[in-house]
Amino acid sequence: MKFRFLSFDELAEIVESEPIDAESFALKREAFISGKTEAGIEAELDRRIAVTRKALIRGLGEPQRSRSGLTDGAAVKLAAFPSPLVRDGLFARALRYSLAINEVNACGGKVVSFPTAGSSGIVPGSIWAWWDSRASRASRTPSADPDASGVPAALDPPYDPLLRGAFLNASLAGILIAQGATLAGSEGGCQAECGAAGAMAAAALGYLQGLPLRGRFDAAALSLKNSLGLVCDPVAGLVEVPCVKRNAFVAANALVAVELAMAGIRSAVPFDEVVSAMKSIGDSLPSSLRESAEGGLAMTPTGLACKRRLEES
Amino acid sequence: MPKDNVSVFDILGPVMIGPSSSHTAGVARIAFLARRMFGAKPDRAIVRFYGSFSTTWKGHGSDKAAIAGLLGISPEDEALSRGAALLAEADARGEGFPIQLVGEAGLHPSWHPNTVVFELESAGRTLRIRAASVGGGSIRIEEIDGYRVNLSGELDALLVHHHDEIGVIAIVSHILAANRINIAATSSHRKEKGDEAMLVVETDGAIPPSVLEQIQSLPPVYAVVRVPALGI
Repeated sequence: MKFRFLSFDELAEIVESEPIDAESFALKREAFISGKTEAGIEAELDRRIAVTRKALIRGLGEPQRSRSGLTDGAAVKLAAFPSPLVRDGLFARALRYSLAINEVNACGGKVVSFPTAGSSGIVPGSIWAWWDSRASRASRTPSADPDASGVPAALDPPYDPLLRGAFLNASLAGILIAQGATLAGSEGGCQAECGAAGAMAAAALGYLQGLPLRGRFDAAALSLKNSLGLVCDPVAGLVEVPCVKRNAFVAANALVAVELAMAGIRSAVPFDEVVSAMKSIGDSLPSSLRESAEGGLAMTPTGLACKRRLEES
Repeated sequence: MPKDNVSVFDILGPVMIGPSSSHTAGVARIAFLARRMFGAKPDRAIVRFYGSFSTTWKGHGSDKAAIAGLLGISPEDEALSRGAALLAEADARGEGFPIQLVGEAGLHPSWHPNTVVFELESAGRTLRIRAASVGGGSIRIEEIDGYRVNLSGELDALLVHHHDEIGVIAIVSHILAANRINIAATSSHRKEKGDEAMLVVETDGAIPPSVLEQIQSLPPVYAVVRVPALGI
């Protein structure tokens, strides 16, 4: 089997001509690259997935407050709110889960950089929200209460192949963006971090909702298109503002993208071309808007006051 | 030149302690490797933060990451976020050593914007490593004791400091082959022709102590340093 691909078109061609599931292909490719067994890859995958579940439980279990004061328990606050606008359980859950995991990161907790630390809530937050809202109804996780807004139940490996498949589909989208553009805010701005995570979450949720491979990457393209141009302008240079709340916004972005793709709405520009556009936009961003904290929100009066306050403390 | 063969675990990883993959996780990984390369507890260590690190190292916990790594604490261990408290506890156990953290103003134009230098010292022994945190927690060791290298910490590696003469590379490869260790990559670096040289060999799998001894005992070899893979 051929394992090398540089574009989504090449990936689709390989998996469709074999034919093989994208997630099985990802496993075999990983075993091939690393020289390890597929069982070994699955065990490592589970170990990393488990870290995201623990971060989620921590982030909703107690308000996360960072040293700077910029992170202040938003996930717990949102979970306690009765949700008058966002009524769907999965949707509301994806927002607070993504927030919770990224707050844990902001507070120096243990997370998986997926694809980066500043965007680490979006993909696992969306996947776990689906899992706790939808999979539990099919008795996959009897411990989870699909409607509860409280702290999610602990879930330890080994994990269901469907859950692994979601993380693998998200990873394939991340690999394509890493290979075709970048995942570093210092190179491509926030579109390369949270934007990429939104595309990855859309691929994962599309998979969980039963979309075929091309549909998943239509959803990924739709989500990424809507994040193009996002700059990285963190207040005081910290991975908190606007990062933490943006994790919830981009999870919503991914959910909308999957909803559109499931209705058969195609992305007018295919995934590979959206990735190229992301790269060219990143290349034309000034360095002041690429993680240097020298522009945008970082240079607002509030941003500068925050920076001064932290330097004095 | 497009990148290819990016791994799932490059995307889904590393497992890390927040808040920043480049400024916290990357530094933790470099510091952890520096300590493993030095082996024993040093008498003192200096950490120099360059480029974007020079102004943001405190806010991103780069200082805590450097301290934890130098104490041999895994980059995945939540204890990392306790930073200076860890050092105080290590001191109480007699396992501590002075660690000086410095933000440096000048960044050499050819260096990566996220560069950190570790200087470890004990009686009669020093180790100086310059490394870059290149994004997403990935690292690149760029210089070891004055030799330009290129190591990611993903593979086991062997640094052979030797007199620059004919056949050293061949003999080292032969020893590795005889012990069924596959070479993933090699590079050779020297200061001047016929003087000292550094052979860097990255291997698939760990290099047992007996093999290190065989290489160490070769007449042209001054010193062998093993750089274990981060394995995480």
